Amino acid sequence: MAYLDTYTQPLTAATAAHLLRRATFGPTQQEIADFTGKTASQAVDILISNASYRATPPPPVEMDVARSDAGQPFLGKAFSGGRNAAYYNYIKCWWIGLMTEQTNRPSVVEKLTAFWQNHFVVTYSSVEDHRFVDSYLRFLRTNCLGSFKNMAIGITKEPGMLIFQNGNENEMGRPNENYARELQELFVVGARDFKGNANYTEQDVKAAARVLTGWQALNRYKEGSTSISSVFNSTRHDSSNKIFSEKYNNTTIVGRSSASAGDEELFDLISMLLAHQEAAKFICRKLYRWYVNPNVTDEIEDNVVGPLAQFFASSENNFLIAPVLRKLLSSQVFFENRNFAAQIKSPAELLIGTARIFNQQVPDITTEYGPFYKMTSFISNGLSLLQLNLLDQPSVFGSPAYYQTGYSKNWINESIIGQRGSKTDNFVYPFLEIKQGYVLGIDILARLRGIQPNFNDVAGTAPIDCEKVLAEFCRNLFALDFTQNQKDFLIDSIMMMKASPRSTWTKEWNAYRASPNEVQKQNTILWRCRALLKYLLRMAEYQVF
Amino acid sequence: MLVPVMLNGFGVRSVAKGSALVRSLQETAAMNSDRVLVIIYLGGGNDGLNTVIPVDQYSSYYNLRSNIAIPENSILKLSGQQEVGFHPVMTGMKNLFEEGKLAIINSVSYPNPDQSHYRSTDIWMTGTDASRFESTGWGGRYLNDRFSGYPTNYPNSGMEDPLAVQIGQISTPALLGSSQSVGITIQDPNSFYQLIGESSVDMNTDLPCCDAGDLLKFIREKQVLAVGYAAEIKAAADAGKNLGAYPDATAKNDLAEQLKIVARLIHGGLKSKIYFVELGGFDTHSTQVSNVVTEGVHAQLLKKLSDAISSFQNDLKLQGIEDKVLGMTFSDFGRRATSNASKGTDHGVAAPLFVFGKGIRRQMIGIRPDLTNGLLPANPAPGFNDRDIKMQIDFRRIYSDILTDWFGTPVEKSSQLLFRNFETTSLFSDTVKTLKSGVWHDPEVWSSGRVPSRLDKVHIRSGHLVQLANTAFAKDLKVESGAELQFLGKYDINIGG
Repeated sequence: MAYLDTYTQPLTAATAAHLLRRATFGPTQQEIADFTGKTASQAVDILISNASYRATPPPPVEMDVARSDAGQPFLGKAFSGGRNAAYYNYIKCWWIGLMTEQTNRPSVVEKLTAFWQNHFVVTYSSVEDHRFVDSYLRFLRTNCLGSFKNMAIGITKEPGMLIFQNGNENEMGRPNENYARELQELFVVGARDFKGNANYTEQDVKAAARVLTGWQALNRYKEGSTSISSVFNSTRHDSSNKIFSEKYNNTTIVGRSSASAGDEELFDLISMLLAHQEAAKFICRKLYRWYVNPNVTDEIEDNVVGPLAQFFASSENNFLIAPVLRKLLSSQVFFENRNFAAQIKSPAELLIGTARIFNQQVPDITTEYGPFYKMTSFISNGLSLLQLNLLDQPSVFGSPAYYQTGYSKNWINESIIGQRGSKTDNFVYPFLEIKQGYVLGIDILARLRGIQPNFNDVAGTAPIDCEKVLAEFCRNLFALDFTQNQKDFLIDSIMMMKASPRSTWTKEWNAYRASPNEVQKQNTILWRCRALLKYLLRMAEYQVF
Repeated sequence: MLVPVMLNGFGVRSVAKGSALVRSLQETAAMNSDRVLVIIYLGGGNDGLNTVIPVDQYSSYYNLRSNIAIPENSILKLSGQQEVGFHPVMTGMKNLFEEGKLAIINSVSYPNPDQSHYRSTDIWMTGTDASRFESTGWGGRYLNDRFSGYPTNYPNSGMEDPLAVQIGQISTPALLGSSQSVGITIQDPNSFYQLIGESSVDMNTDLPCCDAGDLLKFIREKQVLAVGYAAEIKAAADAGKNLGAYPDATAKNDLAEQLKIVARLIHGGLKSKIYFVELGGFDTHSTQVSNVVTEGVHAQLLKKLSDAISSFQNDLKLQGIEDKVLGMTFSDFGRRATSNASKGTDHGVAAPLFVFGKGIRRQMIGIRPDLTNGLLPANPAPGFNDRDIKMQIDFRRIYSDILTDWFGTPVEKSSQLLFRNFETTSLFSDTVKTLKSGVWHDPEVWSSGRVPSRLDKVHIRSGHLVQLANTAFAKDLKVESGAELQFLGKYDINIGG
């Protein structure tokens, strides 16, 4: 079983970067350096245990600096429709901040939470109450590494899910089948097995809907209310027996009528769904697609998905998520060469990844909420423009790039390819002032000064040449290595603009070394390096990871 | 009619016969080369029974869904049509119907219907049996076949424009060809051009192995195509003009905004063959009607649909290009005939779809759903209330008619593109053919799914026995050799009406 066997070679910069690109929204140079030399298991253990550092991050706050309550947490306040949309937006920014921040404690939490958020989808457009989104998001963050069984049970009762999938209206004699279907099709069992056979029947949808009758969400959009919750109302619950098809071994879930009937029958239902032999495979296949490669071949199904699912569902593991993630991220198949650059970056991996690899610091949400909002809303708007709507996916299926034919190719089309470029251009041609003295963007001059030995000794120390400049900007930036032809093209056609020999660069660079404060000299360097960086970040190679 | 093809003022006859240019021109000079199809996807599964309402069975309709039933006196009556009426907000589409430019295809679905949004939409978009999985879309296969080799060496002199254009964000599977989408996805022609600008993509680099190589190739092709098509799309958008009025911005009618761009591009001379637009929000499990039953989410959606289609058709008329554009709607599936307690409807089976444009030759395919004897399950168990609408027309018969009769594809080719032969619905023909043997007055005997009227040329096909047990009408009657028409009594066929 070589595929899931542990990858034992010490991590190089390239393999450490690969791990961090997949387990988080993208590495910093420091994180790559810290992981280099560690084993995959050591590195993955750190990524998982670091979850504890951000278990309870500071809460989101009012970020409109013009308001008198700016900087104050708002989640405990009495509900007011007037600030609802703004608060939702702050919650999203709060999460994006956690994805982007650079604390030198890289963790799997946000990327894994994003996986579950795209799996157990609830959308703000449907629930329309920021507290429902907050409760849902915190539930996912808290449980992302825990028991999948508890997660499936808990999410069923989440107020947001009850609204989004109409559990709220599902009552005895008047079933609403929406959630019962998606619970099986999208959340736990999957519509079909790998070969395309149906995993359940319409009878099972109807029976499950009856099991789930009686749950409701309280205080949605209720002016002045100070909390939200879900309740089980046994008078709305269908207490008759529910009989499932042969797909679930003709299981009968015994109908109950006590106040705890809802929890008891829900437990039975989730247990029955998880006992379906396809359930564990469905989840493990989706994890593989998210972390390794969307392209699941027969070979991968047999050698990775199957064994991983067996482990996931085994009695020793009992559907715990962290051990499965640990196994997958430290496996040989994860580090196989063919799985490098095997996905197109989502907008989050593109924009947050760019911010992180270029050390664009996130201001502190509590003390610098204004600048924090400037930065995170810039990213948030960019994600929406590029068709990633965190917490508000287009449908219960999540983003099309995670399920539609072509998978990650769906992030790219003729129009979006240009928009992706325009967003990465923003990091190259700085325009967004986050706060005084901090303009979002790559500090090209500082970066190059950092690799020039004896910067001021123009006469005695040779200048960095074009090759060194290109190598510095490309350091850990791509999941693939360039060929010599590509490097020559990048230097001669882009950096030197098909106009000047490479020696021109060294003259220009030395001129800048001689007069580093002269704007004209700086601008010459910036002009070439920005052209190069703009091109690099627009390349097909930068779109994959 | 053969029109000499001119290219930059030079007749193609001066070009050598076997040249690639001539060949590509011959390919594009297929019979109906300038025809366009506009596909409107209604995301979520439209509730057909509150869209096209069977007025002649109002009490059955009401009993199935009393909490969301449109009041009888609010239903829009269609002149010349007693079976069905429209939801009261659909005034624009009612007018189109009465002008003869809108067809209702009743109870469309496919065998073994699937009620998963994803899977069912996939079946519609890929155009396959429910049991079969395809990675290409029906529109993509058609255009890939018509413009072979795409995207390699495109754009070219034979086809300088995108094969298909989608107004939206995420590309639809319906336009997936053998290697990638044959459609260009744009949000707005002007911003598209500005974003793409000029770019030098270095294509001649060796690709790495495996999935990485595949992805790089894909992205680079998109970059090249984007640059290649940006100028053409902008030129068409600049040259084209909307001459008709559309709902103003306050109506927030996304569909109208998309169709407005489509009309402008077609009018501006863009030669793309298929346009794909969409309107989401039809998954109305809950409160599809508000306290006023003729209002609410579903009413708003249908109003957008109706206003958008009627504005678009009016624009095309004023632009003088009404003859070359055909539109169709489709959705994930129909919704259940029986409503649920949340003033909504759960996933169902069959629903009507609309085809619009001047090209249609008939306006009703199939009959309105039979709410007395035509529901599924046919004999529900006691206490079992959920009833679905049975399929009459397989959606691929409409696809087949569009490929064959609208685009002029040979029947054998259409069959190949749809994986087998589908019988015509006679949507584009005044001839109704028999599909099987049976009684004349059985709608299922006829290609149109309806008993022939005085306006129909009737064609009884070889091998079919049609029995007459009532007076019948036809404009013209042809009985093929090997076919038989049997009178079960003294009945007339009134020919020529």
